[in-house]
Amino acid sequence: MAQTPVLQVKDLHVDFTADKKVYPVLRGLSYSLEPGRVLAVVGESGSGKTVHALSILNLLPPAAKVSSGEILYNGQNLLTLSPRQLQTVRGQKIAMIFQDPSASLNPVLTIGEQLTETLIAHKRMTKVQACGEAAALLTRVGISDAQKRLNEYPFQFSGGMCQRVMIAMALALSPDILIADEPTTALDVTIQAQIIRLIKQLQQQTHMAVIFITHNLALASQVADEVLVLYGGLCMEHAPAAELFAHAQHPYTQGLLASLASLHERPEHLPAIAGQPPAAGEDFTGCPFAPRCVHATEKCRQTLPPLTQTGEHRVRCFWESAK
Amino acid sequence: MSARVELQHIYKTYFRHKWLLGKGERVPVLKDVSLIIPQDRVVGLVGESGCGKSTLCKVLLGIEKPTAGTVLVNGQDVSRLNSVGRKNLCRQMQVVYQDPYSSLDPRMTVRQILAEPLDIHRLHTDPKKREQFLKELLTSVGLAASYLDRYPHEFSGGQRQRICIARALALDPQILVADEPVSALDVSVQAQILNLLSDIKRTRQLSVLFVTHDLAVARFLCDDIAVMYQGRIVEQAPAQELLDRPLHPYTKLLLAAVPQVGKPVAEAVMAGKQNNNVTGCPFAPRCPQASDACRQDVPDLQEQTSAHYVACVQLSKEK
Repeated sequence: MAQTPVLQVKDLHVDFTADKKVYPVLRGLSYSLEPGRVLAVVGESGSGKTVHALSILNLLPPAAKVSSGEILYNGQNLLTLSPRQLQTVRGQKIAMIFQDPSASLNPVLTIGEQLTETLIAHKRMTKVQACGEAAALLTRVGISDAQKRLNEYPFQFSGGMCQRVMIAMALALSPDILIADEPTTALDVTIQAQIIRLIKQLQQQTHMAVIFITHNLALASQVADEVLVLYGGLCMEHAPAAELFAHAQHPYTQGLLASLASLHERPEHLPAIAGQPPAAGEDFTGCPFAPRCVHATEKCRQTLPPLTQTGEHRVRCFWESAK
Repeated sequence: MSARVELQHIYKTYFRHKWLLGKGERVPVLKDVSLIIPQDRVVGLVGESGCGKSTLCKVLLGIEKPTAGTVLVNGQDVSRLNSVGRKNLCRQMQVVYQDPYSSLDPRMTVRQILAEPLDIHRLHTDPKKREQFLKELLTSVGLAASYLDRYPHEFSGGQRQRICIARALALDPQILVADEPVSALDVSVQAQILNLLSDIKRTRQLSVLFVTHDLAVARFLCDDIAVMYQGRIVEQAPAQELLDRPLHPYTKLLLAAVPQVGKPVAEAVMAGKQNNNVTGCPFAPRCPQASDACRQDVPDLQEQTSAHYVACVQLSKEK
């Protein structure tokens, strides 16, 4: 476990500005990721999970700004790099796949053109070499008849196949870190299972670290070594996956786990969490979950609980039993 | 237990025009679908995208005309209704869609949204009584009566879905069609809406057609579940029976793929392309048990055990 982390996020704050008002979307996120580990970042819409991923690659929209914090890749702060220096990291060392595969591919270029573009630009291959490499990549992600399919356009691929192409593209430069932002949300469950297997398999072969962003706790339990639960732009709980699912300590994580419908039982009522999650950038004092929490006290509404660590388990909660 | 809705041998074929020259092609979407929704029961319709779930909803609601087959609502053939009959049918049958963001008019207040169906059907015309009715309606879906004069953009996804449900209930229908009503919602809110739907079903004795791709959700809400594959129902049974003892290989495949906490990722899930040119069982190209017999004829839905229907050649052979 004493490996040096490949990625360290330190007290990351991201603000959005609209109409001269500042909306904090991430309010101090810290974690470190070791090589070869899969970290699942679980959160609802507006929790800041995608914004955190975009800030790692410096892909934030113009309205958003990292207001403080550091993102260290092998000790190098990504936030202070010049665009040129960043170019050597982005795509080559840290690659990303997005939620909607068919929207992430260019519809007027063939799959082959899109795959070889990366290889020619970064690896200075000739076109012929790149084509061979591209076909090999497609085969690796489980697309048969790769040579022929290189000449096809994205519309000739199904959603699952498009996602495989995206994964092939992300792997083209053998990155150290793969960021997968809800890679299976747009896909059917059967296809989802295939893609998850593929990502896990490739991760084990290449020993890359993966940041897997999802809203689905069950899916996180299947892929991740560790799980970080985001709520209102804050880390609520962070622990090794087995530990988190066996002994969830934060009331939010517990509530989420309890509210999942089961395949084999039919309760009269699902134990739902009342209320709504806060919108991105919503203002609050104290714990963001306090308005929905059954254990909340006056203290929770007044002051933000600190992230306390016991062993490898970090929790942000005042509630006695959470410690 | 009489049938509220009966779909009899429904076929629906879309015609896709080819760009510029060339012949168009026929795309069969529903192929001989028969389904009964009994009074006071929730029937779940489960399947992958493109299998025809939503088209079946549209046919039931009368938005699409079936190419062949009959839709009976309370024993009445829907295609023979005149405009007055259609209007009355609409009163009995309401719908909740997947995306609560696009299914509410952003320029109408909640009051206008809920009152529109009442105006059309001339119900609760007395202003005082209507006000009372609207307030009760809103509280019955778990929203404050004071929200009546707000606009949809002031609400979150879960609250909007509650408004959509209130609108569907305004006419006190007998039949509710719910097309993936929770899949666009945040995880922590899904359970709330599922509980609400379950309460409404119980108190109002609704017959519900509940479309979903999530088998766990279907388990919670549905009495019966029908599994669709490429425009055909391949298995149908009471919810518990279907999930505890799935018979059709496709149902087994779907079940194995559902992610669950503490369960490893599904082993080797078979890939497969939707292909309309397959002869025989549409699932045969993906099926681990497929034999030559499967590729010859389309298997019929047959009763295996009591109330458990399966369309699979292999199973009928064992029998």
